[in-house]
Amino acid sequence: MKARLRAGLAWLGILLIGIVVFFPIAWGVKTSLTAPLGLGGGSGLIHLQNYRYILSQPLFLLYVKNSVIVSLGAVLAAIPMAILGGYALARFDFPGKRLSVLLLVLPLLPAIAVLVPLIVYMRRVGLYNTLLAVILANVVFNTPFAVWMVRGFILSIPIEIEEAATIDGCSRLEALWQIDLPLAAPGMIAVGIFIFINSWNNYLYAFAFTTSPELAVLPQALLRFLGAWGTNYGGLTAAATLALLPPAALFLLSQRWFIMGMLAGTGK
Amino acid sequence: MPSTLERSIAFTRRPGWSLYLRHRYRLPYLLLLPVVLLLLLFLAWPLASVFYFSLRRTPLGEPSQFVGLDNFALLFREARFLGNILASLQYLVGVLGLSVPVAYLAAVLISSKVRGAGAFRTLFLLPWIIAPVVSAILFRTMVDPYTGPVARALETLTGRKYLFLVNPQLAVITIIVHSAWRSFPLEMLLIAAGLTSIPQELYDSAKVDGAGGWAQFRYVTLPLTKNQLFVAVLLITIWTLQDAEGVYSLTQGGPGYTTEVVGVRLFKEAFIYFNVGIAAAIGVVLIALSVLFMVFYLRVLGAGEGQ
Repeated sequence: MKARLRAGLAWLGILLIGIVVFFPIAWGVKTSLTAPLGLGGGSGLIHLQNYRYILSQPLFLLYVKNSVIVSLGAVLAAIPMAILGGYALARFDFPGKRLSVLLLVLPLLPAIAVLVPLIVYMRRVGLYNTLLAVILANVVFNTPFAVWMVRGFILSIPIEIEEAATIDGCSRLEALWQIDLPLAAPGMIAVGIFIFINSWNNYLYAFAFTTSPELAVLPQALLRFLGAWGTNYGGLTAAATLALLPPAALFLLSQRWFIMGMLAGTGK
Repeated sequence: MPSTLERSIAFTRRPGWSLYLRHRYRLPYLLLLPVVLLLLLFLAWPLASVFYFSLRRTPLGEPSQFVGLDNFALLFREARFLGNILASLQYLVGVLGLSVPVAYLAAVLISSKVRGAGAFRTLFLLPWIIAPVVSAILFRTMVDPYTGPVARALETLTGRKYLFLVNPQLAVITIIVHSAWRSFPLEMLLIAAGLTSIPQELYDSAKVDGAGGWAQFRYVTLPLTKNQLFVAVLLITIWTLQDAEGVYSLTQGGPGYTTEVVGVRLFKEAFIYFNVGIAAAIGVVLIALSVLFMVFYLRVLGAGEGQ
């Protein structure tokens, strides 16, 4: 009896928190599927006008393309560095290794402050107003934690497997490539997804480093829609839903490893 | 291809300690070199430059000049900037006060032995992976005075109209609830990780000693999740203090300057007005605030350990 009461209370709590968590998302999706006023568009619960309108805008597709370039670029540039660095931290002892704590402390300092001199430097080296600058910023601010995540995943592989391979004539780098990476593949994918989601969601760096409208990334475009469209909630929520889908899908696909990597990074 | 083992044997046989050292550590250093170079060039150096730029005035297209502490003097004599700092502290207290209890409760619920509760660990994390501008759109949709369900429900209940982003108090509440909604999942995840690491035997022996539910929480659960709670509070404190994206997408700092937290002010000075010197000075203040809170929390935790 007591156990059933306890389970009932637990479910009640989960339900209440669930409403708080999901109501804004559900309401947004519902709004995006509602026909704009005056354009009844027949009966039925689901209206795709908002989506059709947005997807027919060439500019919107350009913003999506920019976001894909920036996010994939950041992943491709950061992952090799994170793998090599994380491997070194997991498997070697060397003077100065304790400084690796800086990888956890540096990201706690305000990125927005670092951007101020970075803008000046980017102007000087001619990278200002390019997507490359945006990619670079995403790489810089995501790599420290990514190294730490990789380190955690490599540490979870027993070193004996690697030692056996070394005795069979593998070099350390061959062991990393042939033993650790395949074994830690889901973890490495989760690290990539972590970087992808962060880059996809960010508008700060694009705002700082680009001025041309055709270089805008998706979140930046959403910010502009907010200013320009004001209360066209159907259009706004449709665009927001489209922007939300890739991170949500990637996260749900990789959630087990994603969460494990997060905890390995923030834990001790 | 000779193995590392063979190569290192070959090397260690050679005389010369420094050569041995160099070889032994060469590989890890080489592996870390790209990351270290990247961070030195694009993170450590700009970070140091923030301080340098904060002491200079840099008009666009003209050479900058040294102005000493003028930028700081300008800022701290300004009512608007003091308001920015107060808005940030208010935002921080609100977000922590709202999100930490909910996160703790959620962590207890998803780690409870009730069947199926664990699935919500993943689902409850969703707000945390949503872009700030996307969640800002969702929240603006909810609080619109004519079509937003939250504003409408309040109007039905009280008979008054609620202009959420126009009324200063309501605007502050909106940015706090929005940020708490985004922050609680990570806190929940960290606290839940602490909860699952508590051995069941501790609860069993507490029960033998006659501890009820509350006593078990007070003397077993809470002390043993203190470290995770600390990490969660530290991370959310830092991110809330530095937040610009979430607040800017919701209110742009308005109405007036009521929700213009330090991050939003920095955002405007740096990327909209291009006041490099002032922006760098605000950056220094933000770095100082972040370090201050880090040290404060570390000391609190250290004092707790000493007991």
